[in-house]
Amino acid sequence: MSRLLDTEVEGIHNLTAREFTLRLRLPANAEPPQPGQFYLLKPPCSNDPLLRRPFSAFRWGNDWIEFLIRKKGKATTLLGTLRSGDRISILGPLGRAFPEPEKTTVVIAGGIGIASVYSLAPAYRADHTLIYGARTSGELVFVENLKTLFRDVHLCTDDGSRGFHGSVVDCLREFLKDKDPATFVVYGCGPEGMTASLTDLLKEHNIEAYLSLEERMACGLGACMGCVRQTAEGMRRVCMEGPVFHIGEL
Amino acid sequence: MNLEVSIGHMRMKNPVTTASGTFGYGGEYAGFVDLNMLGAVTVKGISLEPHRGNPPPRLYETACGMLNSIGLQNVGLERFLKEKLPYLRRFDTKVIVNILGGSIDEYCRLASGLDGKVDAIELNVSCPNVKRGGIIFSSNTHMLRSLIREVRAVVKRSVLIVKLSPNSSDIVQHARISEAEGADAVSMINTIAAMAIDIHTRKPRLSNIIGGLSGPAIKPIGVRMVWEAHRSIGIPIVGMGGIMTAEDAIEYMLAGARAVSVGTANFVNPRATMEILEGIKSYMQTHGIDDINKIIGGLIC
Repeated sequence: MSRLLDTEVEGIHNLTAREFTLRLRLPANAEPPQPGQFYLLKPPCSNDPLLRRPFSAFRWGNDWIEFLIRKKGKATTLLGTLRSGDRISILGPLGRAFPEPEKTTVVIAGGIGIASVYSLAPAYRADHTLIYGARTSGELVFVENLKTLFRDVHLCTDDGSRGFHGSVVDCLREFLKDKDPATFVVYGCGPEGMTASLTDLLKEHNIEAYLSLEERMACGLGACMGCVRQTAEGMRRVCMEGPVFHIGEL
Repeated sequence: MNLEVSIGHMRMKNPVTTASGTFGYGGEYAGFVDLNMLGAVTVKGISLEPHRGNPPPRLYETACGMLNSIGLQNVGLERFLKEKLPYLRRFDTKVIVNILGGSIDEYCRLASGLDGKVDAIELNVSCPNVKRGGIIFSSNTHMLRSLIREVRAVVKRSVLIVKLSPNSSDIVQHARISEAEGADAVSMINTIAAMAIDIHTRKPRLSNIIGGLSGPAIKPIGVRMVWEAHRSIGIPIVGMGGIMTAEDAIEYMLAGARAVSVGTANFVNPRATMEILEGIKSYMQTHGIDDINKIIGGLIC
């Protein structure tokens, strides 16, 4: 079963000025992803942008998959121009997934990081709490869906325009006040700064956690050694040993 | 239709191989490419001891190309021989191993450790990403001469290829030196030393500041250098630098390359080597060419 797939675009749904979902038809023989895994998408152009871009599997069904994408540069902007019926080459699913939880989960999502953890609630039967933040309320996407998927949803915004006024890490700190850290596992994904302060907080409270990291990537297959992160175990490839890492490695 | 080409006494069933560092140790791509179909697999550069490489970030994409400063992260000679080579030997393809040392002695120990166990040894005298060694040999012709001579003395059974740098002052002179010192072939071009800056933070995009530029952006430079070298030396040239399609590969062959290495294209399309091979065959069919060797150096000018 090859992970290199020629797929058809079913449609694009613009959520905000920057965020959109890209829905593709998956061939019948395609291997389904697991929460936290990613795909490399080839932007619709020849050589510029050149490389494929990594995106988490956001939602999927038997014969379709959806990616949640933020327009940030040339490649994501080009992906946003795809139309129903266009063809796109994708490579995946790649990388290590979030493991199935054995206890209550607290899922932390910063910004577009929601794309990587959204599927945890539908995929894994557990008592899921979500702490989801963005810079401003307009950047919080799929809030109503999230409220049906997660038992408890805490929203946060940096500007206080919705929910908790502050970062997801500040919100988690509040949340922890009356909780026993041994009773749950944290799953998280977000921008680099968030991941760094989240890692510190989790380590300080000795909380078990799995965090999904992001890094510029070329092959996605473990060959180019381009996407490494320095971990407790040495240089680890985000595409192979990650993108989901256990807190102990970070 | 004959696709076989010879690089020294190594006979490749077709001229398509992979550029070192872009195909891992082969197995990474086995799910996409039938390795038996390749003329040769050129593996990630090997050093005597395992290398942890440069700190991240190691990659940055630029217009029609990419910068990398991996810094030769690799498993080292011993693990390569024990864990990687036996796997590759299961396939009916030639194995080319790129080596990089910090001194002539290290190169020689690597070369003698591999001699006879692999089909060809590619001497990396031009890695722009490793501070100690590599680049120093491509900036000093006297050092380069001694290095090739001493490695040649220990490489008795495998084919010896010298990988040349476009960053040296005169790549053609280095090609001539390689030939004079007994190399069986040269491969060219390695990546071009380059850099990029984040204008908002004013920091370099790569932790190593300078990296190697690869991809379609460098192809015309590679073609020019292969053509110039082809006019000056008699030993075979393995051409590389931005080959994305069969047309690119044929351009290199017309300029004088006897074999071609596919590099960055593997990242964009894991099946690139297979598509390039198919494209070469259909080019030959279209032009009524029965032997691939007939197009090598076939530039008309």
